[in-house]
Amino acid sequence: MSAGLTPMRAWLLMLPLLAVMLGVIGWPFVDTLRLSFTDARLVGTGGDYVGFANYDRLFASRAFWRAFVVTTEFAVVSVFIEMVLGVLVALLLYQSFRGRNVLRALLILPWALPTVVNALLWRLIYNPEYGALNAALVQTGLLDVYRSWLGDPNSALVALIVADAWKNFPLVALISLAALHAVPHDIRAAAIVDGAGALSRFRYVILPYLAGPLMVALVLRTIEAFKVFDIIWVMTRGGPANSTRTLSILVYQEAFSFQRAGSGASLALIVTLAVTVLAVAYAALIRKSAGARF
Amino acid sequence: MSTLELVGVSKSYGSAVILKNIDLALADGEFLVLLGASGCGKSTILNIIAGLLTPTSGEIRIDGKRINEVHPKSRDVAMVFQSYALYPNLTVERNIGFGLEMRGVPKARRLAAIEKVARMLRIEDLLKRKPAQLSGGQRQRVAIGRALVREPKVFLFDEPLSNLDAKLRMEMRAELKRLHRMLRTTTVYVTHDQIEAMTLATRIAVMRDGRIEQVGTPEEIYNRPATVFVAEFVGAPPMNMIEATLDAEGLRLDASGERLALPIRGEEARAVLLGLRPEDLHLADGGEGNAIDVTVDFADLTGPDVIVFARHSGNPLVASLSPHSQVAPESRIRLAFSIDNMHLFDRTTGQRIETRHSFAT
Repeated sequence: MSAGLTPMRAWLLMLPLLAVMLGVIGWPFVDTLRLSFTDARLVGTGGDYVGFANYDRLFASRAFWRAFVVTTEFAVVSVFIEMVLGVLVALLLYQSFRGRNVLRALLILPWALPTVVNALLWRLIYNPEYGALNAALVQTGLLDVYRSWLGDPNSALVALIVADAWKNFPLVALISLAALHAVPHDIRAAAIVDGAGALSRFRYVILPYLAGPLMVALVLRTIEAFKVFDIIWVMTRGGPANSTRTLSILVYQEAFSFQRAGSGASLALIVTLAVTVLAVAYAALIRKSAGARF
Repeated sequence: MSTLELVGVSKSYGSAVILKNIDLALADGEFLVLLGASGCGKSTILNIIAGLLTPTSGEIRIDGKRINEVHPKSRDVAMVFQSYALYPNLTVERNIGFGLEMRGVPKARRLAAIEKVARMLRIEDLLKRKPAQLSGGQRQRVAIGRALVREPKVFLFDEPLSNLDAKLRMEMRAELKRLHRMLRTTTVYVTHDQIEAMTLATRIAVMRDGRIEQVGTPEEIYNRPATVFVAEFVGAPPMNMIEATLDAEGLRLDASGERLALPIRGEEARAVLLGLRPEDLHLADGGEGNAIDVTVDFADLTGPDVIVFARHSGNPLVASLSPHSQVAPESRIRLAFSIDNMHLFDRTTGQRIETRHSFAT
């Protein structure tokens, strides 16, 4: 019997999935697109067509550009920390020592925690009155008085980045660890006999094996970080003084707090577009590096 | 040009003993083959020489100097791995030159050295390729090139031909022999393939369970195996072992009770094994006293020989006869051998009994 399906049957079999996809992604997307060209409010009027007025206003607003910068800062810095920390921890956990398996298991914990729980934990750590961070810094003499880490516009974003990186570096570490195990033993040995030091071995022998998996982790994490909402919402709600207001927080405030569905929709579409651009660029990069690697 | 010595080298992991008191000495330019079944510890010796493993006790010396504490990169040894272990992301050129690059050799000198080695191995056209674009044989050449280019004091080969097909393996064997003739670099070569060992080695060390059974030239190993293990391990098909008793009247075969007309005597009765290589047996043409009667099971023509599978008083026995021999299944034939080609081993210790001395008495 032939394994081939007629195109008609193939489409027929995919129809239920397509219908669901159209229902939960297609229709909301189209409706958001429509909304973004109206001055609709969340409750009340359906809104009138206003053309590109929402977009014009957004691109002219300082709040938008500020949020864009904050989002980019958050994504770039936290993903960078996650990648570096993840690879370093993976290299450590690859060594053989007593208790390695226990540490490997513990490694997953931060990543396995729900984001909200992680956010609450870090709020406790950062607490200006009884937080562990203040206690540790003051007791070791590094700090004179307790500070409000999340209440200060100068430190709030950094504090958030630390909390986010803490939660997400285990993913990078696990992916790297798996990739490390794929490096053939003989190749490591050959590099040692060839006289390569630890850094050269990492650069020429290990990194090529890590590159592909790391690229995937980079894509996933950047896209997630660019869309970040939950951890910020729980810890700072975008404050203080909007210093941690990312694009997703701005979308939420615009659409739900200020009930401006139309302009919220236009903002959401811009975030979507930015993430899509990132994803496409990364996909091209992965294809290129996968081809060039071996 | 260097000598290599292992003195009392042992290696164990906890209670598991991998190597027991290994003593080896290689003269300058020698090609020593470590021959043994997998798991006998031969690769461990190589890794210890390379510095990838630390011995539990004992000393390794190159040119008389202890190198136990010397880092692998400073030992000036080069190693070729069974899996080739090429760096997949680097071109052939950089693979070969990697060791030089890591040692900070200037680019111009590096490229000249790479080119020389590439020409020697006939891989000049492949220099810009990545390992994935090479065949198995080409990869093996690159791996050898990577070792050659550094002009090390000692070459270490870890079953380098095991992943090649039979024809290529023969070609590369000849190639390695040619290279060693040309370069005369002291070499330790690990294999489980006795043909490789016999053809390449200046000396062979036969290993078993972390110990060296016998060290000797290929001729010594083949013609005068020191133990039953060596006798059975080297040679294909393996040496026939026939249980016998050596006493004051000579040699009596236990299973058949036959006495062989051999000028060998023992002072008191001693349980021995009579070792006969299949290729040393021939059809008896009459009155030879040193001959045994066997029943043929079947015979295989391999081309140059007829391999006869037979039974001697119920025990299996293999003979390799000339291809013109007419041997029918179930027939009785008489197989003769020369006393120069027979081997005697003590059945309890497995050690060789020197028959030549007994002839003199």
